Amino acid sequence: MAILSFSLSAEATARVHDLLLCLAKFGESVCLEARNDKLAITALNSSRTAYASFSLDPQTFFLEYEFSPHGPTATGRFTCQLYNKALLSVFKGRVVDARGRDTAIDRCDVSIEDQPDKTECRLVVKMICRHGVTKTYKLTYESMEVMHALFDKASAPNGWHISSRVLREYIEYFGPKTEQLDLLAKDGKIIFTSFTGKVMDGKEILKQPLETAIAMHIEDFEDFHAEEDMHVVISVKDFKAIVTHAEILKASLSAHYSRPSRPLQFSYQAHGMLCEFTLMTSGDYQGVSTQSTAPRIVSTRATSRQTSRAPSQAMNTKPTEMAPPARPPSKSLLGQRRTLSDMSQQQHSAPTQASPESESLFMPLGDDEERHWDPPDYDKEDGEEVLGWDASADNSLSTYPTLRDTGSHAASGWTQGRSRDSNTQGLEPTQRLSQFHGLFD
Amino acid sequence: MARDLNAPLFTAVSSSARQLFLLLRCISFASKAHVRVSPENIRFSVEETSVLEAFVFLSKSIFTTYTYQDDTSEHDLPEDAPPPPTFQISLPALLETLQIFTLGDLSKPSGDPYDTFAAHRLNRQANQPFSSTVLGTSGLCRLSYDGPGCPLSIHLSEAGVSTTCDLTTYEPESSSDIPFDRDAMALKTIMRATHLADAIAELASANPTTLTLLASPRAPFLSLSASGPLGSATVEFARDPQLLETFQCPQRFSQSYSFALVKAAQRAMGSANKVSLRTDEQGVLSLQFLIEVETGQAGAGEGIGFVDFRIVPLVGDENDTEDGERADSTDDD
Repeated sequence: MAILSFSLSAEATARVHDLLLCLAKFGESVCLEARNDKLAITALNSSRTAYASFSLDPQTFFLEYEFSPHGPTATGRFTCQLYNKALLSVFKGRVVDARGRDTAIDRCDVSIEDQPDKTECRLVVKMICRHGVTKTYKLTYESMEVMHALFDKASAPNGWHISSRVLREYIEYFGPKTEQLDLLAKDGKIIFTSFTGKVMDGKEILKQPLETAIAMHIEDFEDFHAEEDMHVVISVKDFKAIVTHAEILKASLSAHYSRPSRPLQFSYQAHGMLCEFTLMTSGDYQGVSTQSTAPRIVSTRATSRQTSRAPSQAMNTKPTEMAPPARPPSKSLLGQRRTLSDMSQQQHSAPTQASPESESLFMPLGDDEERHWDPPDYDKEDGEEVLGWDASADNSLSTYPTLRDTGSHAASGWTQGRSRDSNTQGLEPTQRLSQFHGLFD
Repeated sequence: MARDLNAPLFTAVSSSARQLFLLLRCISFASKAHVRVSPENIRFSVEETSVLEAFVFLSKSIFTTYTYQDDTSEHDLPEDAPPPPTFQISLPALLETLQIFTLGDLSKPSGDPYDTFAAHRLNRQANQPFSSTVLGTSGLCRLSYDGPGCPLSIHLSEAGVSTTCDLTTYEPESSSDIPFDRDAMALKTIMRATHLADAIAELASANPTTLTLLASPRAPFLSLSASGPLGSATVEFARDPQLLETFQCPQRFSQSYSFALVKAAQRAMGSANKVSLRTDEQGVLSLQFLIEVETGQAGAGEGIGFVDFRIVPLVGDENDTEDGERADSTDDD
């Protein structure tokens, strides 16, 4: 008796292949989570700074979908992990069949045999091809809890929405060796700057600095609303993988973010797939907003909306032991910076973070190698914005392991951390990110 | 007719070096090939440690000229005939020679812009009515062999350039063919080679060491399975006339082969049109590929070449066979 069985049409099978290719850019294994209302295929990268999730809708994505948990340990969901390579070899190359080979697949049946009393627990994929060719694969899987990152869109006031086709054209220009991508909204434009810092080992240059800036007018966006002069830095590789996949689906890509060092989410939806990518950002938040109390907003939205969103109560209060406001658009005043050590302390005290791994989540603490090419002011970032694990292996339906964005919920005090900067400072950054200028500045 | 002592023992002219190349490429997994010349055909054979044998027969008909002079025409009784000349040559060297001029796919320009360009560069005069391409004389290839101890001489000409290569011949090793009993066949089926190539490519992704062939008069009629560290894969063929042109299997039969040996035939599978897959009761697998090659002559149509593979089964793996059957029975549930 299969715990999960579903059937895919030929097109959906090709889409599974596409999403697996995209997930392969994030990590070498993928996690499956089956529920009654969705099948989620996710991947988390090894440094836990990027999380990709594809939620497949049982009604629209599948021909048939049946999830029947059974047994005393039935929990309403089934999770497992597989090697992406194994799945890719099963779903591989179906696209090639478009050239008229007559064993093109008709449909694909997948079932998971999961019986504790049997030795053979396998993920069984049956490709039913024309002329009665059947290809059956039995893949081993690892039963394990799946981590999900949660992202609170309500606390991410900045965002934009654009056709993936437009972005797909532009990502070609990012140098293949660049690592980071800086997003900056300025003067009615958004500037994507892909860059890599110079890495020296003694006198030997390991990495040459390289920078490519692309400025796009916000009129090109279907919607644009973001704080001006704020640098948000993500990984070029992740961005490319996301845009490439979005373009295959011909979907419009949405981005939601709040501030550097807070997670950013890209999402799009098509053909019964909801694709969400939660990426940790770094960057410099010492732009204009440090001088002026209210950040300027670059927006395509109506003016009335814009003014209503602009925070009227400037956070001029002296940094004291107070809870942070729920909406943080302007709270980064000069003194309100926290050190990394504060951050980790706070993480330990946070009640939702039971796992000891929480420090590594989305926050490569004390990893000097990582920080060589990181943008400046890493140590001055606002510290309370951390993603935490919620790995309390509670098997009830309502709670399940998540990576939770605790940023705006953690009720922790503000402390003045400037004096402790030296504790955690790795290498001095070589250049301020605000000194970067795009070609069209 | 007595043998003309000045004339070579064997000469053959082909109008397309490419077709010879395409056929011989199918068996290019070994470094030395045995060549046996007979009045009807020339046979190239390669083998791997007596467990895998492959032959290419170049029949008289695919050559424009084929002459074989021997003394046997005087003898009426075939048993009096001396054994046909046999020698060994280096197969990679032969393949290199045959593609000296075939930079790109001249006859069938592919979508690759480089190939198209190369073809264009080579055929700049192609629009002229008397160019060699139009006359079908491009890639003219003449093979000749004078007799034991002499080199195999290959004369190629194309677009006014000609090359003569003499390939050293070696003494044949005494080797006996893998016996295949045509009178006691356990399985005989003919199918499109792409189906088999597709199945082998699917199974290869699991990186397996053995391939299990299962044939039975009931469903599943023909199945190929392999397992690797990450899981197992099975490809089943139903008895659909679109799929299996012929299918003769008197009783259930299962046998394992080394996957690496089967993969040696992958190139042949890729270029062949049809394949006849047979096993005898000893389990020896015979794969005979029918390959259509263009003769290069306008109006001459397509020539047909045969490439044969014989693979010795793995023995003493009773357990494996049982495993395969057990897995199979769970499938039926």
